[in-house]
Amino acid sequence: MAVKEVVALERCLGLNSGKYSSRAQAAGKIPILQTNKGPSLVGISTIASHLVKEAKKEELLGSSAEEKAVVQQWLEYRITCIDRVSSKEDIRNVLKDLNHYLKDKVYVAGNAVTLADILIYYGLHPVIAGLSIQEKETYINVSRWFSHIQNYPGIRQHLPGLVFIKNRIYSSNH
Amino acid sequence: MKLFVGEGNPQGVKVLAAAALWAQHVQIDRLQQEEKIVPFMSQPRLPVLDLENGNYLFLSNAICRYFYLSSGHDMCDLSNQWLEWEAAELQPALSAALYAHVVQGKKKEDVMATISASLKHLDQSLAGKSSPYLIKDALTVVDIVVWGSIYPLIVDASNLPEEMASLKRWFQNVSQLEQCQKAASSLLKDKGSSVFKPFLQKQPAPITPPGKSVCK
Repeated sequence: MAVKEVVALERCLGLNSGKYSSRAQAAGKIPILQTNKGPSLVGISTIASHLVKEAKKEELLGSSAEEKAVVQQWLEYRITCIDRVSSKEDIRNVLKDLNHYLKDKVYVAGNAVTLADILIYYGLHPVIAGLSIQEKETYINVSRWFSHIQNYPGIRQHLPGLVFIKNRIYSSNH
Repeated sequence: MKLFVGEGNPQGVKVLAAAALWAQHVQIDRLQQEEKIVPFMSQPRLPVLDLENGNYLFLSNAICRYFYLSSGHDMCDLSNQWLEWEAAELQPALSAALYAHVVQGKKKEDVMATISASLKHLDQSLAGKSSPYLIKDALTVVDIVVWGSIYPLIVDASNLPEEMASLKRWFQNVSQLEQCQKAASSLLKDKGSSVFKPFLQKQPAPITPPGKSVCK
């Protein structure tokens, strides 16, 4: 998953593909990028942040100190929480918190799409794909955000589009 | 902005040191026990920085990064890589080691062995460098995040393996900074790692088999 994901990000940013390898770690595989100049870079959020700078799309990292910290916080959340869900309960906890967080938000950080939206979208894709229609309605803010990001030009890449129903079927959700 | 730190929560060391080094106008609030501060998180999470505009930083590395950036510093690829390594590899191994030592009473030498790969990585990165810091030739947020992460278990450089001379020297160096000394002593109160026992006892045992969640 990890290498495939950074390759998707490269395409999304309009970059040529780099040389990748990966190594195993407790929670899965860590991608490694062999850069032309200097040593290789290890780790998905490190590589992703590097690619964004290469593509001269720094706005995806946030503009103020606060936005930059918020973007990186959600990248860390993606790696340490979303990537390590191992039970139904873990999934519920992550979705519940995200749903609450996204209640009054269009994007994860600030008022425009950032790297946090892209990497959380990639990371959540297998989780959301496993939800029932009813569950998607329970996490309505996550669903709204997810549907928005997957339709954002260039982001979805190889991932299949997931279906969300616009009109609620179940009325008693809170 | 308000920084909330829980007594006996080991994550407090790095954020207090980073606040003392780089933050301006931050009010520090010490909470006797874990409280829910972040409205969108169902479980209490400390430390937390309330930016008082509706935004919260709830991961300690993000808090350190914010203080560092807002004092006019910048982050490079290498500093991102160290912070990611700390969060993804060092932190889970270290939490498990600290828990085993403080709550389960395992000997310090034995739990040190479980994090030896991480310590070796640090030692090797420091060895052969002309600068006494992890990146560049001055203290950065990387030193504070990594130091603050291992401090609760190591406490004193003499607890580090003899052969890791570079790591020992670095640890001592950072520990001697006034801001770090203050952060450490205000949390540990000369009691050593045992000060974290009441907090850690309430946490689920952080065994870290592949794929285990570290989220509360």
